[in-house]
Amino acid sequence: MEESPLHPFELHNWIPISLGELDISINKAVVIMWVVVALVAVLMVMAGSARKLVPGKLQSMAEMMVDFIRGIIMDTMGKEGMRFFPLIATLFLFILFCNLIGLIPGSYTVTSQIVVTAVFACLVYGLSLVMGFLLHGVKFLGILVPPGTPAWLLPLMIPIELISQLARPISLAVRLFANMTAGHVILGVLFGLAISGGLLIGWLPFAFTIAMNGLEVGIAFIQAYIFTVLTCVYLGDAFHLHGHDEHAH
Amino acid sequence: MPQFESDFFSSLIFWEVLSFGILFFILYKFAFPGILGVLEEREKKIKDSLDQADRHRSEAERKLKEYEAKLNTAAKEAEGILAAAKERAQRLMEENEQRLTTEADRIRGDATREIDHERRKAIQEIRAQTTELVLMVAEKVVQRSLTDADHKKFADEALEALSKSYQR
Repeated sequence: MEESPLHPFELHNWIPISLGELDISINKAVVIMWVVVALVAVLMVMAGSARKLVPGKLQSMAEMMVDFIRGIIMDTMGKEGMRFFPLIATLFLFILFCNLIGLIPGSYTVTSQIVVTAVFACLVYGLSLVMGFLLHGVKFLGILVPPGTPAWLLPLMIPIELISQLARPISLAVRLFANMTAGHVILGVLFGLAISGGLLIGWLPFAFTIAMNGLEVGIAFIQAYIFTVLTCVYLGDAFHLHGHDEHAH
Repeated sequence: MPQFESDFFSSLIFWEVLSFGILFFILYKFAFPGILGVLEEREKKIKDSLDQADRHRSEAERKLKEYEAKLNTAAKEAEGILAAAKERAQRLMEENEQRLTTEADRIRGDATREIDHERRKAIQEIRAQTTELVLMVAEKVVQRSLTDADHKKFADEALEALSKSYQR
């Protein structure tokens, strides 16, 4: 049987629901999202309610993660960035668990859906724009002009900077989506080879499948980390226009 | 690619926003305050402990210095006491020695004097007895009484001769 390596990304409506004109049918990806929400919520609330000075395993893990995210925020945005801590931490946890759960055979990788990553990217970039205009007003448009640009270069620089700004949400969305998709496509192809190779030669691609799965766990972490760091960087840019005013460090 | 089929976009977006919102709310309300609170508490606790340890150490150092100073004073005092005691012992010894020497001198002087006295007495007695003896012998030899004056004169002469020979 020949199966397309893209087959695992197909979705089928399990329970058709519609909200007015809007189709909000339940499918596999939605169910996995619920699982992720439940898992993260239970783990983090349990860790948060332990409140022991000498932490147990779960509390340690949660604290390590919180400290890790806090470190990223402090490095990119400084102390005032801690206002966004709940949002950024939730984003990180959500993406990380979506990536990781997707690696369980038979489940679904929510973050391999371009629309899911695009929503996050738009949320982050939209927030950075709103913050920028709220904090700096019209001066925030100065983000399109790098400091020290001569006036005669402005007609060239502004379109370039505009494109680079617009590339931010797109790259944010596509990076996560493409990484997750590619990883699973490779896994699918290798596993397909293992199946069609039979016992004689099939063990080789099967061993690669296992190795790739291990690598994918790392990629799941790295992509969640990259998404989080870039979120912080974009929000930080909105905070500290050009990084020269009110930049703490 | 199945991900670009727009049939599922609306439901995915709807449920994603809803799920994320719910998760955000739960974590914001129930998880992060606890975890961040504990982290801050621990930070504070560690800082406090370090501060306290620092305080204790400086106090210990101060106490050590104090004790060292006390020890020094005590050692000096002990040295002083020892020196005084030694000096006193020396003085006592010297005093004793002197007293004993004086006493011995006195005793020796007394003894010498007594011996002298006794000797003189003995000599006197001997002289008297000798005189008598001489007189008796002389009487026998001379066979006649001498006058008192002669008597005396002879006796003295004899005595003189006797004591001369005696002293020699």
